[in-house]
Amino acid sequence: MARGFEALLLGKDPRDAPFVTSRICGVCYSVHQIASARALDEAFGAEVPWGGTLLRNLAMAAQFIYDHILHFYHLSVLDYIDIMAVAAYRGKDKALNAVKDKIAGMLRAKDTFPLTPRYKPDEISVTDPDTVISAVKHYIDALTMQAKARNMGAIFGGRQPHYQSIVVGGFTQLPDVNQVAKFRTMLDEQAKFVNEVYIPDVLAFGTGPLFPLAKKGLGGGHHNYLAYGALELDRTGKELVFPPGVIMGLNLKNIKINRFNPDKITEPVKYGWYRESISQHPYDGEQVFDLDKKDAYSFIKAPRYLGKPMEVGPLARMLVARNPDVLGLLAKGVKPGAIARHAARAIETKLVLDACYKWLDDLLSEMAKPGFKIHDTIHWEPPDTGMGTGFYEAPRGVLGHWVKIRNRKIEKYQVIAPSTWNLSPRCEKKARGPIEESLLGAPVPDPDNPINVVRIIRSFDPCLACAIHLIDPTSNKIKKFPVE
Amino acid sequence: MTTPLENISRRDFMKYCAATAAVLGLSEFELATKVSEALVATRAKTPVLWLEGQDCAGCTISFAGALNPPIASLILDTLSVRYHETIMAASGYEAESAYHKIVKAGGYVLCVEGSIPTADDRFCMIGRRPFREMVEEAGARADAIIAVGACAAYGGIPAAGPTGAVGINRIIKHKPIINLSTCPVHCDHLVGIILYLLTTGTAPPVDEIGRPKMYFRELIHDNCRRRSYFDNEMFLTDWNDPTQKNWCLYMKGCKGPETYADCPVRRWNDGLNFCIDCGAGCMGCAEPDFYAGMTPLYTAESGRSRNNRSRKHASSVFPLKKQDMKGGGQK
Repeated sequence: MARGFEALLLGKDPRDAPFVTSRICGVCYSVHQIASARALDEAFGAEVPWGGTLLRNLAMAAQFIYDHILHFYHLSVLDYIDIMAVAAYRGKDKALNAVKDKIAGMLRAKDTFPLTPRYKPDEISVTDPDTVISAVKHYIDALTMQAKARNMGAIFGGRQPHYQSIVVGGFTQLPDVNQVAKFRTMLDEQAKFVNEVYIPDVLAFGTGPLFPLAKKGLGGGHHNYLAYGALELDRTGKELVFPPGVIMGLNLKNIKINRFNPDKITEPVKYGWYRESISQHPYDGEQVFDLDKKDAYSFIKAPRYLGKPMEVGPLARMLVARNPDVLGLLAKGVKPGAIARHAARAIETKLVLDACYKWLDDLLSEMAKPGFKIHDTIHWEPPDTGMGTGFYEAPRGVLGHWVKIRNRKIEKYQVIAPSTWNLSPRCEKKARGPIEESLLGAPVPDPDNPINVVRIIRSFDPCLACAIHLIDPTSNKIKKFPVE
Repeated sequence: MTTPLENISRRDFMKYCAATAAVLGLSEFELATKVSEALVATRAKTPVLWLEGQDCAGCTISFAGALNPPIASLILDTLSVRYHETIMAASGYEAESAYHKIVKAGGYVLCVEGSIPTADDRFCMIGRRPFREMVEEAGARADAIIAVGACAAYGGIPAAGPTGAVGINRIIKHKPIINLSTCPVHCDHLVGIILYLLTTGTAPPVDEIGRPKMYFRELIHDNCRRRSYFDNEMFLTDWNDPTQKNWCLYMKGCKGPETYADCPVRRWNDGLNFCIDCGAGCMGCAEPDFYAGMTPLYTAESGRSRNNRSRKHASSVFPLKKQDMKGGGQK
């Protein structure tokens, strides 16, 4: 699937870009909006006041929290449990029995959509009734939690999905103390769920019934990791929740983290349905479709760092940050792979939550100062010429926006989204993309039931709506990635 | 559809009621009534087929934000979501097979999210089939069709791009389509229309471009709480200035004077906030020529308003006529 966002922005007022590019993804809307605004900030020469940055961070944090909860409970858990095991629950817990009745009712009515159809459980699937029923209950609870987390973001974002208040130069809504208090109250509820339900569930699965899978490192891939870094903890921007960095060929005994250099990113299109361009640097990239191109098999370009395919996302971020909890799991024998990705995702949710409390405190003290600012009004009008990059971290990995402005209009616009990194096809050197590589050697004993393939792909949290019809199980091989 | 009542013999049913009634201390009759009501309620689950084309999944996420009624109750108790690429547990061939089954059965509510490319089918293929074909096929056997969000309704943002993106009314002809045209869809609009269909069994009255009148009858401008500032020509120019905080956003590009939707009254996300309240202004996402006609978004002169000089007296502007609903295709 392709829509041509980069092409449709050409010639437009640059200030439109954050609003428009938000619509690249309705799941990670705020990330695109903020990355786009940051690219424009640089191109316009705008200095976002600390108040504006704090508001952007809080809006962004709500996105991280909702997205990670939703990914685990609603997009992943069903791949690891045998949901029919709820019928065998014999406990006395009222809430769990209500879940049992609900599922039993659906079964009696022969209508278990959307929980089925699905791939058949295999020998890895968790069948212990107590574990399964509590996972299903949390699936239902999490439906409400993810909606509430998004609403928390709308307090400052204006509405969700697709925030309205993020613009070049900062933010449009002067907050009041009631909004700060409301955010904090809603944050408390999220913190309780994340700390008492989400993280314990992920760890219980990963170090319990799924530990054999975790130790095998199913879905490991190239073990190259990239993080751009994001979410400022202080006004200098030096201290970040997610630091930037690069790991080439992870060696767990001696993790070497290199400095991230934006100039080393290229975006070849040899196997993409795009016209070849002379330069592969995103600033000069273009989006001219060529649907008849020989050997092409994807709308996804093939971004590379120093010519290498890179995994991006929670595991990459937590390794680059040398997060002690994630390193602790690896020390216990968990190998980087599908299960480690879920664990890293849960652990970083807590980092974001904790940062929110700090940002709320900082915001209140900023608001109390005379001349509190949220926007650089002096640099609101588009410059005659300019260029800028917006690097950011989406829940599913690094996001970059590149813009060039000429005659006060957009001359070039390029986006490299996280799923573009993870789902990338081969480049001209034939190196497979991270997900392609991670699927090599995945056990698929029954080609009609390729549940391990689904487990691996989903552990990357790709844009699933687009990535659903990927696999040709008849040959046990990934044949095509036909969509963006 | 098989109902639970058909699966349980009457004798078993009464036995079950007697046993349960004893536990609950109710008369058998009371319990039998209550349980039958509950069973009848489960029988009424409406099948839904939800297709995603050139979309961003934002409308799905908007729908998943339902709190009253909660999304869990909607997707598990009220609706039978047979096919939805993001929500369903199935993937790959299993998902495709679920799709074929529901289309064959017919009689569902079809929700389409995202536009359809007309420049070349290959811009949107699902399981190696043109998305356009699936919309035609699924539309033919649907009981009701909802265009969920701006893209499916009129082409939305993709309509301004190179793929010739259009709304589903250009693909499914001769069948009424309910256009819920904000970007993303307003959760209340979608949930409300589904409940309306379930309750009345009929489609709601719509305006001449297919939007339910109950949500799109009035101009945003006419219900705007900043309206008095507009009338007094007090326009916000600096987002940092507390004295201007509630002033009119016209000079920041607000398209409220030319956009029909109930956002100022209903607000968004359970009444929490909405575009104009957060100081950003309306970007006209409910209108058929969004986005191409609304750019530049942040100035008082959009493409649309240049064609429509009377913007200042915009409350007298009527909804667009049919010939204006092509949606985008700028340049």
